[in-house]
Amino acid sequence: MDWGKIKFFLGEVARNFTRNAGMQITAIGTVAVTIVLLGAFLYVRAALAHAGSDMLNQITISVYMNPTATQAQADAVRTAIAKDARVLDAAFVPKKAGLEEMRERMKGQIDLSTAMTENPLPDKFRVHVRAPEQVAAVAASLQKLPGVQLADYGQDVVQRMLSIGSIARRVGIAVIAIFILTAGIIISNTIRLTVFARRREISIMQLVGATNMYIRAPFICEGLLAGILGTVIAIGVLAVGRAALTHQLAAIPAGFVQTSFVQVDAAGLVLQLLAVGGAVGVIASWIAVGRFLRT
Amino acid sequence: MISLRGVSLVYPNGVRAIDGIDLEIAKGDFVFLVGHSGTGKSSLLRLLYREMIPTGGQITVDGIRVDRLRRGRIPALRRHLGVVFQDFKLLTDKTVWENVAFALQVTGAHTKDVMRQVPRCLEMVGLSHKSRMYPGELSGGEQQRTAIARALVNNPKLLLCDEPTGNLDPQNTTEIMELLGRINLKGTTVVVATHNQAVVDRMRRRVVRMENGRITTDEERGFYFLGLGQDQVLSG
Repeated sequence: MDWGKIKFFLGEVARNFTRNAGMQITAIGTVAVTIVLLGAFLYVRAALAHAGSDMLNQITISVYMNPTATQAQADAVRTAIAKDARVLDAAFVPKKAGLEEMRERMKGQIDLSTAMTENPLPDKFRVHVRAPEQVAAVAASLQKLPGVQLADYGQDVVQRMLSIGSIARRVGIAVIAIFILTAGIIISNTIRLTVFARRREISIMQLVGATNMYIRAPFICEGLLAGILGTVIAIGVLAVGRAALTHQLAAIPAGFVQTSFVQVDAAGLVLQLLAVGGAVGVIASWIAVGRFLRT
Repeated sequence: MISLRGVSLVYPNGVRAIDGIDLEIAKGDFVFLVGHSGTGKSSLLRLLYREMIPTGGQITVDGIRVDRLRRGRIPALRRHLGVVFQDFKLLTDKTVWENVAFALQVTGAHTKDVMRQVPRCLEMVGLSHKSRMYPGELSGGEQQRTAIARALVNNPKLLLCDEPTGNLDPQNTTEIMELLGRINLKGTTVVVATHNQAVVDRMRRRVVRMENGRITTDEERGFYFLGLGQDQVLSG
């Protein structure tokens, strides 16, 4: 290892970096803002995915029997459910128990005992599926059985949640793409200023036979440094925000939102953000120097 | 060392900077390129170190076909030759030592080579005692000697000088030319583009005269002006 060589190289990078301090701070700031946005977006998305899958895990299929269904048909449905490998567990809820449940749920709102004289509810099976993505298929197959009136799992709500989610995701991706582009352009301009300030040195380097790769290296490092520093600041901001939100959420008795918020793989996210920040810096500076070296 | 065959250089605006030049320069030669400003001396030098590409003809420098050289191979060519300019092209924020070392450091030389070569070159140009000074603290002649030390630090076989004494007083001019002469004696081929008559007439070396992008005369032990006798030089 040639320490003299390394010292010389690092000295060049440090000199570059401090030469346009003001511009450099702007670049780092832009990267930081971009990465905060990206990080928050990715974090919330991960938390929502977590919460979503929790919710999907809680989804049950209610298989309502026709009031006119025979006992044989009910038994056939029971066997079909029991045989289905995709089903985790299932329970039969006779109409009487169904009414009790409803009473319990509506307690304090409507007094069902006075509102109704007879039980309008059909018998039903409550089916719990192993994997959330199998819910629709299982519901569809149960629906086909004779004597079944309706196999319901709240399709409308699930569909609406999914479509709102996808719109939000698209808007988020567009906003972040614009920010990443902006950060790239600002880094690129910053590097171009450094390159311009050092054009004399670069021309001498070329004159004495330095390779383009060698001339490029300090500028690439400069861009990488700006990207990484901005990302580190952003990660700090995100960590503080996460701590504050966790504290706030602790006050809300909404168990699964909290757990899914905390359960996001933060370490993985940090690595992703560092990779994005570093890549933006490197690519932007590569382009900035490339334009200069080609002339 | 250098061979040009039918070399021409036409700028995009149509100006013919070099117009069909044939020239051979042997290893260890010392050659003056003379002529008025704008006759193509600098363009010719730029073609030799591949700052420009000829629009026609063949250029060979130290066995390398410069006219066909791929971009990626340019550094290899430049490491085998040194270039010195009228305006020195030194880095003002680096010391003499650092300026000379720079040429080695940016070509990826080992530190121990830097430590060996830099003092050798500074001694050759007589600046060992000023190695810690900045270019702004030096005279023009000393700055040019720093530039020459930088050009020599890669042990080039060829030294190209474009008006090396253009910014210097007669005293410094003489010293620089003597230095170039000593470098030539050690085996380095030296090509000097100049319009300094005194320098050319005193050195009595090969003189290649250019006019309008062409070589008009090529004399061994020539004078700046064609056919000028020794007596006339002394009286003039």
